[in-house]
Amino acid sequence: MSLSAALNKVFFGEIVKGLGLTFKHLFEKSITQQYPHTKPMLPDGYRGIMSLLKYDDGTERCVGCALCEIACPSNVIKVVSAEEPGRPLNRYAKTYTFDVTRCVFCGFCVDACPVDALAMTKEYEWASENKRTLFLDKDQLLAIGDRNFPLRGKKPEYRGSIEGDWYLTAVKAKAYPKQAEKP
Amino acid sequence: MSEDLISIIDQKATIELTVDDEKVSVPEGTSIYDAVIGMGKTIPSMCYHYTFNPFGSCGVCLVEVEGKKAPVRSCTSPVVAGMIVRVDTKTMFDARKKAVEKHLQTHPLDCPVCDADGHCELQDMSFNFGITQIGEVKQKGLPEDRRSTVLDFNMNRCILCAQCINICKEVVMVDALQFFKKGGFTHVVAKGDSALECEFCGDCLAVCPVGAITNKFSKYLYKPWQLTKTVTACNYCADGCQMRVEVTDHTVVRVTSLLSWKDKWDDHAATADGHGGLCVKGRFGFAYINSSERLKKPLIRKNGALAEASWFEATAEVAKRLKAIKAAHGPDAIAGLITARCTNEDLYAFQKFMRRTVGTNQLDSSARYGHASYCAAMEHALGAAQPTVSFHDVTFANTVLVVGSDVTETNPILALRIKDGLSNYHAQVIVAHPVRTNLVKLAPFPYTIAVGSEGAFVQGLTKAVIEGGLVPQRVASEHPTATAVLQTAVASLSWEALESATGLSRETFAEAAKAFVSGERRVIVLGEQIVNRPDGYQNVLRVADLMLATGMIGQPGSGVIRPCEENNERGAVVVGAMADRLPGGLRYDDPAARARVAAAWGGSLPSGGATLAEIVDGIRSGRIKALYAIGENPLGTLPASAGVREALSRLELLVSQDAFLTDTGAMAHVVLPAALAAEKDGTFLDGHGRLQPVVRALDAKGEARPDWAIVTEIAQLMGASLDYTEAEEIRRELLQIVPAAFDAGPAALRDGLDGEVALRYAQPAVAADAPSSEYPFELSLYQVLSHSGKMSTRDKGLLEIDAKSRLQIAAKDAESLGVVSGDRVKVSSPLGSVEVRIDVNGDLPHGMCRFPEHFNDPAVKDVLPMWVDPVSKAPAFKAGRVRIEKVVP
Repeated sequence: MSLSAALNKVFFGEIVKGLGLTFKHLFEKSITQQYPHTKPMLPDGYRGIMSLLKYDDGTERCVGCALCEIACPSNVIKVVSAEEPGRPLNRYAKTYTFDVTRCVFCGFCVDACPVDALAMTKEYEWASENKRTLFLDKDQLLAIGDRNFPLRGKKPEYRGSIEGDWYLTAVKAKAYPKQAEKP
Repeated sequence: MSEDLISIIDQKATIELTVDDEKVSVPEGTSIYDAVIGMGKTIPSMCYHYTFNPFGSCGVCLVEVEGKKAPVRSCTSPVVAGMIVRVDTKTMFDARKKAVEKHLQTHPLDCPVCDADGHCELQDMSFNFGITQIGEVKQKGLPEDRRSTVLDFNMNRCILCAQCINICKEVVMVDALQFFKKGGFTHVVAKGDSALECEFCGDCLAVCPVGAITNKFSKYLYKPWQLTKTVTACNYCADGCQMRVEVTDHTVVRVTSLLSWKDKWDDHAATADGHGGLCVKGRFGFAYINSSERLKKPLIRKNGALAEASWFEATAEVAKRLKAIKAAHGPDAIAGLITARCTNEDLYAFQKFMRRTVGTNQLDSSARYGHASYCAAMEHALGAAQPTVSFHDVTFANTVLVVGSDVTETNPILALRIKDGLSNYHAQVIVAHPVRTNLVKLAPFPYTIAVGSEGAFVQGLTKAVIEGGLVPQRVASEHPTATAVLQTAVASLSWEALESATGLSRETFAEAAKAFVSGERRVIVLGEQIVNRPDGYQNVLRVADLMLATGMIGQPGSGVIRPCEENNERGAVVVGAMADRLPGGLRYDDPAARARVAAAWGGSLPSGGATLAEIVDGIRSGRIKALYAIGENPLGTLPASAGVREALSRLELLVSQDAFLTDTGAMAHVVLPAALAAEKDGTFLDGHGRLQPVVRALDAKGEARPDWAIVTEIAQLMGASLDYTEAEEIRRELLQIVPAAFDAGPAALRDGLDGEVALRYAQPAVAADAPSSEYPFELSLYQVLSHSGKMSTRDKGLLEIDAKSRLQIAAKDAESLGVVSGDRVKVSSPLGSVEVRIDVNGDLPHGMCRFPEHFNDPAVKDVLPMWVDPVSKAPAFKAGRVRIEKVVP
């Protein structure tokens, strides 16, 4: 046994070394997150709960095309579409149900949406004692969208129609698109 | 292709050409497209459909022809001998891709909101060609044409393939659509650029390869992939169309036809068995299935009012009370009625229940006032109760004689076969009808005859055939006595009487007779105006005489067709759900047939029996104490003079089994909710003898159940061994008793018929009452295109298309009465009077007025008399004489 090894044994060198490492952490920044007192930083592209979005004038983006429904691998979404009452030619989702319990957060529905009406939020605190609270309807989904995406996109012009003689007058007034007046 | 088909299509010289280094011979005049398709190759195209002539508007079906610089549109270029054609080349793929790109430049990319999304040929093409760039986009930005009641035209999406226009013009022959240039774009609009007013068959909707034409009744309610599609039979008329019922969430969203842009490759001759299209009723009349008026639970009358009950209570109640009535008054105190809209299985189960469990032969179906006169007369004359011709025979007939039938309105798909023969196979179509019907306007031999003189017209035609020496030699040698008797019989008819009865001259009859015998294959279409009249039975016998005189009996491809109003009237006769029929359509008084059925059922059959009119009389006299009506509503169908209301109020037990609460149901003691055809399995036998599968497309509304299941349960509760668990078992049982039940037997002239021919011609030719000064108008109840029976008036879609419960009168009569469309008039007959709004119709003859039979508000039917044929027992109640007076507001 050499002298240094003997001294190490006498003065508990390994313990000192170990405690040194421990005490060093007292002066370092903590990496333990005190959830739920502190919230984690989520990366961009985090796939949290689904939301439905609106345009800047407060109307829904969704046109009820049901492409999300067909894109969904686990039958989460159910869309029932119809013509919007009072706005002929405007297709909308009469009901839109989203079963979070089945969702695998793959984001296919968001990719499928042709009008960017769907977005995945960074919300994840949806644990519940009652699974029924996880069946979301359209109003709930729009509310999630509202609170997560306050900045809304601009709405394209509504090319609908009104009943009456509009067809004849509109077509007569119509020239080639370049000279066309905005209806 | 069948033998006779080949003989029909003229044999043309064949031409040899080379397609992709492969030699092929085709008949002269074939297009390159058809030649290539015939080899099993495909050329993509968007405007081609086998039902009509190629139009060549889409420019996608390009092929390379050696010697030509530019690619050629193959559908419109005929083949030339020695032609060298290249189809599968890279250059052609690119050329076709370019053509599709061109369509996409003007096509809006609004697929997410388009109803055709997922069922769109342009989408499929773009995908198959791998189109990602479409160059300069030129959007039209047009508003949608929503003027029509049924269809929306979005001209932004239109690719101007003209399939809608062509099918309307060449197949449906309505010609309601046209191209119209306005605002710098070509539009598809209704003729005259107005709101579309046509037959609304919707075939244009079916062939539209994009979403330019959409259905208003299901707009935006679906995406094609969300719907569960079931092919089943239509239950409106007896044309027996198969259709796709498309369902989501227990609601029928739309009905589509087998005709579609997807099935575009076939020979035009294949349309002879039907082109796959539908009529307005089939395609747009589906809302009644979803109706909130449907009965959902059984109802039992308690303290004078109908109250909801469970199935357990309701069936037990019916069984208990039927048993009590049977014990107290015998089985003949019970009677049953069933509608011919039920499946064969329902009808069979019901007639077995009545005959075996109850033990009475007092049962009838609604085929009594439809098909029965025809069956009775034809069985008497030819031994075959059922029509022997098919769709196929109608299309390829050389001559078609349509008597007393507005066939384009009552049976539009059968009418399409006549139109097909007319336009493609040079058929001589002879139409005799008092009204200028749609077919009269198309036919080469239209005859406007006096009201109610259809029988006299047939007699006149027979006389003209015999006296013109047009009887074939074969007939005179095969049936010498019958021909001789007929010859002397027609000699006793005077031309003057026939001329004054029909309003046609002797020369006209000679012309019609010549046209009628000009071809080998002849089809006679007998409508309800000739069969369902007081002299209907005699009229059908007169038609049998005409068949004999012209040699139609035993001639392949020749015969009579009887377009029925209800889908399964032929089935009701065949299954035996009538007092005078046994299963298999055998006569009830035929001892051999009775023995066969009795042996199969293990017991004896009840004797006697009562038909519809006799049942009503029996109830009124108090002999019959209980009535079990399935889908039948005698109160809403028969006129007041039949005394149905009084009769029903005397019943001890009235059971109404229906999908809706009818007038009869409102008087019933027990109401049982029944499933509709779309909600059950089974079969229909259509008017042309095809057994149509009926497949359950959705669950029955509420607690409604199939008729056969309800009947079986009641029978079991009454202690009978009627034990079926599925519809197929019932069909198997029927086919075990009569293996050929659904086949029409051969027709041959019956012995001993000669004797009565003379007697028949001794009677006056016209049985209709002569016009009197007191009642100068002939009123008839008629069928309109968009309705069928009373059931369709429960459909809100069809009511949107046509809810006109108006009396139609001729323009001349309106003038003399001093009334215009919309005025109120009082219609009176010796039986009563009713106030009704009128509609002036320029196609009606002077002295005739008519009212749609589907509407009971106002109850015009109640001013008409009822007349029951002594032989066929068929009640006729759709015609009578009336007086019309203007109501001064």
